Amino acid sequence: MKTRMLILFIFCALIVNAQTQKKVHPNLNGITCKTCHSCDIPTKENPCVIPCPREKMISIDQSPEEGPSVLTIDKFKKQTDIYAPVIFSHRLHAEMSGMSGGCKMCHHYNPPGQVIGCSDCHELIRKRTDVSKPDLKGAYHRQCMECHRSWSGKVECESCHVLNGKKQDIDSKTLVAKSEKRIHPKIIAPTILKFNTPKATGKIVTFYHAQHVDLFGLECQSCHTNESCVKCHAKDKTALLKAKTTEQKHSVCSSCHNTKQNCNSCHSNSVQEGFNHATKTGFDILKFHGKVACSICHTEKGKFTGLNSECINCHGKWTQENFQHKVTGVILDETHLTLECKDCHQEKNYSKPICSGCHEDKSFPKNVPGKLIKKNG
Amino acid sequence: MEDLKPTPMKKKYFTPVVIGLAVLVLNGLMFLLARFIFGIGAVTNLDNQHPWGIWIGLDVAAGVALAAGGFTTAALGHIMHKDQYHAIIRPALLTAALGYTFVATSVMIDLGRYYYIWHPFIMWNGNSVLFEVGICVIIYLAVLYIEFLPIVCERFIGRVKLPGFLKSLNNPLDKVLRILDKGLDKTMFIFIIAGVVLSCLHQSSLGTLMVIAGPKMHPLWQTPILPLLFLLSAISVGLPMVIMESLITSKSFSLKPEMHILSNLGSMVAPLLGIYLAFKIGDMVIRQTFVYLTTFNAASVMFTVELLFGVIIPLRMFMSRQVNKSPLGLLIASFLVIFGVFLNRLNNFLVAYTPPYEVHSYFPSIGEISVTVGFIAFEILLFRIAIMIFPIVSVPNTSVQRTKYSIRGGAQ
Amino acid sequence: MVNQSRRDFLKTAALAGTAITGLSSKTKAAPKNILSEDRMGVLVDTTVCIGCRKCEWACKTAHDLETPSIEAYDDRNVFKTMRRPNSKSLTVVNEYKNSVEEKFPINVKVQCMHCDHPACVSACIVGAFSKQENGSVIWDTDKCIGCRYCMVACPFQVPAFEFENALKPDIKKCDFCFERTKEGKLPACTEICPVEAVTYGRREDLVKAAHQKIKNYPDRYINRVFGEYEVGGTSWIYLASREFEKLDFPKLGKDPAPGVSEAIQHGVFAYFVPPVALYALLGGVMWINKNKKKSENEEI
Repeated sequence: MKTRMLILFIFCALIVNAQTQKKVHPNLNGITCKTCHSCDIPTKENPCVIPCPREKMISIDQSPEEGPSVLTIDKFKKQTDIYAPVIFSHRLHAEMSGMSGGCKMCHHYNPPGQVIGCSDCHELIRKRTDVSKPDLKGAYHRQCMECHRSWSGKVECESCHVLNGKKQDIDSKTLVAKSEKRIHPKIIAPTILKFNTPKATGKIVTFYHAQHVDLFGLECQSCHTNESCVKCHAKDKTALLKAKTTEQKHSVCSSCHNTKQNCNSCHSNSVQEGFNHATKTGFDILKFHGKVACSICHTEKGKFTGLNSECINCHGKWTQENFQHKVTGVILDETHLTLECKDCHQEKNYSKPICSGCHEDKSFPKNVPGKLIKKNG
Repeated sequence: MEDLKPTPMKKKYFTPVVIGLAVLVLNGLMFLLARFIFGIGAVTNLDNQHPWGIWIGLDVAAGVALAAGGFTTAALGHIMHKDQYHAIIRPALLTAALGYTFVATSVMIDLGRYYYIWHPFIMWNGNSVLFEVGICVIIYLAVLYIEFLPIVCERFIGRVKLPGFLKSLNNPLDKVLRILDKGLDKTMFIFIIAGVVLSCLHQSSLGTLMVIAGPKMHPLWQTPILPLLFLLSAISVGLPMVIMESLITSKSFSLKPEMHILSNLGSMVAPLLGIYLAFKIGDMVIRQTFVYLTTFNAASVMFTVELLFGVIIPLRMFMSRQVNKSPLGLLIASFLVIFGVFLNRLNNFLVAYTPPYEVHSYFPSIGEISVTVGFIAFEILLFRIAIMIFPIVSVPNTSVQRTKYSIRGGAQ
Repeated sequence: MVNQSRRDFLKTAALAGTAITGLSSKTKAAPKNILSEDRMGVLVDTTVCIGCRKCEWACKTAHDLETPSIEAYDDRNVFKTMRRPNSKSLTVVNEYKNSVEEKFPINVKVQCMHCDHPACVSACIVGAFSKQENGSVIWDTDKCIGCRYCMVACPFQVPAFEFENALKPDIKKCDFCFERTKEGKLPACTEICPVEAVTYGRREDLVKAAHQKIKNYPDRYINRVFGEYEVGGTSWIYLASREFEKLDFPKLGKDPAPGVSEAIQHGVFAYFVPPVALYALLGGVMWINKNKKKSENEEI
């Protein structure tokens, strides 16, 4: 009896546990427990977290405003007394990282939900048994130096720290206040970029940046990968313009475009027009599909290959119930309302109706099967 | 056969050559003084990449090898009982004793903490090759002195004449000498055999010394059979050393060279040198190091010179009857062997040693050379003094009786 | 008469033999050379090191060596020349050009590797070096005679000598902060390193961690942990983004550095049998020759 009770109790505990789990990670879209945990039922006592770095980089994304604006890193006060605590302008750095990966630049392997600080995983005490990941001091500095090094090439401690005992020009409180005000200017995305390439024919590549973001739904990171501050702030720009292979030059585009063939689709002798669905594919989307995002029809991610232009391909069979005819600008009168669609629209693209099936003397658009209204948008 | 009797040389000590040598000694002493006042770094070209210079590579390594005459003649004369060679044992013994004293002194001045030279006696490291070499050399040095004692006894028994107030010690000293003489006569064979064993041990271990340097040593020389090569070369250089000494002493004191002995000795060099050459070539073939000879650099040149002029040419010369019969031929052939072994030690310890983070290569400083030259000059002067005081060099004498271990020479 | 001398001969020979073997039993007392399973080590990740040289400052401070102020170490001009540890600095950081990513030069810290089978421990004439239980190879000033054989033996060319010191020159090398670790502190360089490019821990764990890193970032590292097997393994191990030989690491085999020389040494001195046998052989030859001579003489 007792053992049964015990089993029941454990069972209940497991269920409760499984439910609380959801509270810890509220929106686990597409991620299974096994991504981060090695055992079936992780508990608070034994989370059995797979040691970092895990194979899959999962992380959270928040806007810079959601995080703290300034942090004072003073966890090492007792340990080392060479340098004073660092005032870290968190928000400024979060804004800066926007181009190059967002929060996960620093908060790597952060399970969805709340953002966790470095010290939750990285040990404060350097003398430790688990040497598989750096200690807190090492983790901080590795994150900082990765960018600071590439930006300025300098590793001077005093660019961030103040030597203890050294007289400061500014006291820490004003420094905190000052840091709070520091924000990165909004990064303005260009609409059109014109590139002059060294190619003999097809010198000009017109790049519609806004279209790629708005129309094709690309995120900043999908092209601006591993871009650090240097991209904009480099002191020595010539280093960036170093000779690259043709492949390297096209690497940004080639993840979507086939850059090995069809050069002319991008390269031209004059400035090209932006993407136009009607001219490019013969299917004018502006008429009815202007507001529809590409991905609604082009469901396969990253692929924009031609679709069957028949309406039925996307919409299925239209009936009176699922199609409000008034969107076409014609409200059908009672007589026509009862008809099947194909009674009038015999073509597959449901264009111009044919009246001659019933009416010998009538034709569209001279005669209208109802009331004409002004088309909305 | 005409009999030989060791006698103290009677001649003027100072000659122009001797005075020249004395100047060299003084010059060396000055640099030695600087070494003790300002440190090793001030006088030598040594640095962290080149911890050992000629004070070890030349003074110690080559010095030990060239003092090999002592044990080879001891083995020949006493152990093999070839009595006809007894005439050369004493000069060889003196050279060895002086040579090893010179080696020990060189080691001492090269030590950063020379005043701790006694440490190896109480702090032992059985794994250390240097420990073994050091202990063997020190014991062998003591053995050499013991072997030399009978000569001292022979010279001074009944002739102890101390000046002034020390006169009262004359009698007891004489008694001590007599007791020593008697005791040593019975036990000398222990020391003779011990001397040969100790020599074999440290002559070979001197080669093992550089094995631990591993890849820092040029593959032309770095081989696990280094100890064997060192031993074989030491054995083959012993007799040429004795031959050259004898010839130079004869010249210096206007004596007739003892060609019947020297020719016989000369004929023994060829097989010894042949064995050494065989091992050296064999080692090169087995480890396929001859590929390094195809490139022209310091290592390949030095190796070729060492092998060609130091081994192959003298080997051919010693194989010739004519060379063995002519004093000049013997002198040149012997010199070449000595040069070869000398160069071999220098090559092993200095030329072959190529440290990985070399900023500039090592070449001995004036100070190092001065000290070494001064030491050699001093050794020659001591040798000259010794053969004038002690009965060492054999001169023709008809009324001689032989004793059990003729190290004591004729008088009894 | 002949019998008499023969008995004497044997007696004295036996005496000499025992004296030498007596010596041998003591020479077996080699210096402390412990290879503990829990020995500590350091993993140096050269891809993480930023060349701030704070380790150099910390090392000098911990060992009471003369040092400029900590700010002076920001000067990167020192990287123009390749430096080696010497008697005044026991560890140095060098910089190498990174051909792939010029922004990130490769910095390599150099110090004693603390071999598992140290050549210096084997070579030292007085046993002044010892391999301690915690992995450190340390030097005893009370024993050293300044012969510098350790410098000849060391495959990494690490021990340095105070050539300028005439009175009591020391051998200087990284001692893995033996005094500090004894008190439970970290080695000075591993404590100060801002990026923890030098990770202190059990050697076994570090080797595992190093291989894990290589597995996780195959693009970042070459597939080799320097010091895992070199000269029989070292307590300090390294990770790098390119061939170690290009970063001035010596090219070394897997055999312990003192291996061959110790084998020869112990072969020649195996329980003192070979020397004693040689002694006996020579004695025999001498005795036979002597008797032959004597009988020849008597016949005459």
